[in-house]
Amino acid sequence: MTDHAHSAAHGHEHHQGEHGHGGVGKYIAVFFALCVLTGISFGVGNWHALRVSSPGTMWAIMMAVSCCKALLVILFFMHILWEANWKYVLTVPASLMSIFLVLMLVPDIGRRTLKYSADRWLYAPKPVPAAAPHEPGSPSAHEHDPAADSRDKDSRDKDSRDKAPANGKPAEGKHGGHE
Amino acid sequence: MASHAHDFSPPHDSHDHGRGDHGHDDHGHGHLVLQYQPALPISKGKLCLWLFLSTEIMFFAGLIGTYIVLRFGAPEGTWPIPSYVHLAEWIGAVNTFVLLMSSVTIVLCLEAARSNKPALAKGWFLATFLLGCVFLGVKTYEYGQKFSHGIYPAKPHSLIYEKPDLYYVQAVRQSLAPRQLALAAEQAALQQKGESLPKEKLEQLELYDNLLTNLVRWTELKAAKEGDPLASRLAIQRMAESIYPLREHGPAAEKQAHHYVELLQEEGKVLEKEQSQLQSGRSTIASERTAKSEELATLQPQIMSLQKQREELAAELKKLEGAAKPAAEAPAGEARSCGQEQPSAANPEIERLKEQIAALDTELMPKQEQEKALLGVIGRIDERLAAADAEIKAVQGRAELLPLLEKAHHGLNEEHSWLRLPMVIPSGNMWASTYFLMTGFHALHVIVGLIAFALIIPLTLNARRAHVIENVGLYWHFVDLVWIFLFPLLYLF
Repeated sequence: MTDHAHSAAHGHEHHQGEHGHGGVGKYIAVFFALCVLTGISFGVGNWHALRVSSPGTMWAIMMAVSCCKALLVILFFMHILWEANWKYVLTVPASLMSIFLVLMLVPDIGRRTLKYSADRWLYAPKPVPAAAPHEPGSPSAHEHDPAADSRDKDSRDKDSRDKAPANGKPAEGKHGGHE
Repeated sequence: MASHAHDFSPPHDSHDHGRGDHGHDDHGHGHLVLQYQPALPISKGKLCLWLFLSTEIMFFAGLIGTYIVLRFGAPEGTWPIPSYVHLAEWIGAVNTFVLLMSSVTIVLCLEAARSNKPALAKGWFLATFLLGCVFLGVKTYEYGQKFSHGIYPAKPHSLIYEKPDLYYVQAVRQSLAPRQLALAAEQAALQQKGESLPKEKLEQLELYDNLLTNLVRWTELKAAKEGDPLASRLAIQRMAESIYPLREHGPAAEKQAHHYVELLQEEGKVLEKEQSQLQSGRSTIASERTAKSEELATLQPQIMSLQKQREELAAELKKLEGAAKPAAEAPAGEARSCGQEQPSAANPEIERLKEQIAALDTELMPKQEQEKALLGVIGRIDERLAAADAEIKAVQGRAELLPLLEKAHHGLNEEHSWLRLPMVIPSGNMWASTYFLMTGFHALHVIVGLIAFALIIPLTLNARRAHVIENVGLYWHFVDLVWIFLFPLLYLF
C-alpha cells in the first residue's frame, strides 16, 4: 500500500523512489546464490549413489532448487518483491494453472502402477518392490480450506455450492477495502 | 482498482466542494492528497508484458508437463542418459551460468539507466547482448554435436532405432549395400581405364565389404540360426553395440569399453576353437573324399582295360563278320541277344567272340554302375567340402573383423564418421523430439530477445528510456527462468 501511495505521489517520476530497493550489492548476492544453487543441482544430478538408491529424492531436490532459483529471479531481478499488489493478479493465476497442469499430467503416468492388476504386472517392465508412501496431499485436503469456509458463511447469499466464485468475491472485496 | 482513489476518499470530501468526482485537491484540510488514476499503477507497456509473460508461463508449463509425462511414461530404465545422446551436463551448466550472468547484467543496466548513467547502462546492455549470443553459440555447438552423431528430431536424417531387432539389421544393410555397390561400380569403371580408386575410397570399399559380410551377414545368420529369440536378439545387440555403444561418461565408459573388448577377445577364442573344429571336420570330409577317389582310381583303370578288351574283341568280330559273312548284317551291339537267331551262320569263331563280349559286358556293367555311384558320392562330398570351406571362410572373416572392432571399441560410427550407420538408442526418438522441441522453443525466445536488444542498442539509455530496459529485461529474466527449469529436466534428470 505504501508503495502505491508512494508511486502515486511521485507520478511518473517514480524511478528515483524505486532505486532504493535494488542496489548492485543485492543483485550480486542474488547472482551468487543462483550460481551456488546451480552448483547444488549439478552436484545432485551427478551424485551417482543417490541416482541409484533413490532417484525420486534426486528429482525432488533438483526441482526444489529450481523453484528456489526461479523465486530468486522473479523476486529480485524482476522486481516483484517491490511491486504493488497488481503482481498477484498477473502471476498467481498463471502459476497456479501451470502447476495444476503439470500436477494433473503426472498421476496419469507416474501413479498408474498403483492400479495395475496382477496380470498387468506380468508384462510390466520392472515391478516396483513396494508401493512407496506418496505425499498425502489429496485433492480433498485442498478443498477443505477452513478460511474459505468462514468466508463462505459471510457471503452465503446465492451459490454456496460453487466455491470458486464465492472464494473470489470476498477476497476481492477485502482487497479493495484495504486500499 | 480503477477507482480506488475515489472509493476511499473521506465521505465529507465528495459533497463540500461539488467539483465533481475527481477533485481531491487539498484545501487546507490537511488529509491525504489522492489523485485519480485510471488503471493499474504501472505503465501500459509493462502491463502488456506481464500479461504476455503469464501466457508464456502457461505455454512452457504445457511443454514441461508433456515432457514429464513422456519422460516418466517411457518403459522403465529406457530413457537415455546424457552420455547416450552426446549431451554434456557441464556444457548445460555453463550455459546456465551464462544466462544467469546476462540476467545480472541486464538488471545492472536498468539500475544504471535509472540513475541516468547512459554510458554505464550501454556497457551492461552490450554485455547482456554478448552473453545472449554466447548462449546461442553454445547451443549451436550442442546441436552440432547431436547432428554430427545422427541424432535428429525426425526421420530423414535421424539414425536412431529403438530396438535391436531384424528391422534394425535390415536398416544397417540398406545403409551399407547401396554405398558398397556404388563404390564397387566406380572401381570397376576405373579399372577398365587402367586406373584405380583413390586410397581413401578403396579403404571405404574394403570396409563396406568387410562389414556387409562379417558384421551384417554374420549377425543375420546368427540371429536366424538361433532358435531362442533372446539369443538372436543378443546377437543383434552385439552388432548394435559395435556400431554405437551406449556408454556412460568418464571412467565408467573406460570400464564398459574394457568389458566390450574382453567380450570380443572371448568371441575370438570361441571363433578360433570353432575354426579348428571346422578344419578337423573338413579334413575328415577331405580324407573321406581321398578314400573315395582312390577307390575310383582303382576302379577306373579296371573299367578302362575292360572297355579296351571289349573294343578289341568287337573290332575283331566286325572284321570276321565282314570277311566271312557279308550277308549277315547283325550289328555288333545286337550280338549277344541275336546269338541264337543265327544258327545258319555257324561260324564257331564268331560265336566264341560274341560270348566273350557278352561275358565282358556282364563284368563291365556293375563296375560302371559302381563308378557312377562313386562319382555321385564324391560330388556330394565336394558340396560338403564347399560348405565347410564357406563356413571356415565366414568364421575366418569374422575373426579378422574382431581386431578391427576392438580398435573401434568406442563404436564404428565414432571411429569412421563417414559411416553414419543406424544405431540403437532405446527411447532415443522420443528423447530427441522432446529435447529439440523444448530447447528449440527456448532458443527461439533467446533469439527474439536478442532482436529486441539489437533494436535498443542504438538508443541512449538514460532515465527516460529506463522503462524500455525494464520491459526487455523482464522478458529476458523470463527466458532465464525457463532455462532454470529446462537445465535440470533435460540434462540432469
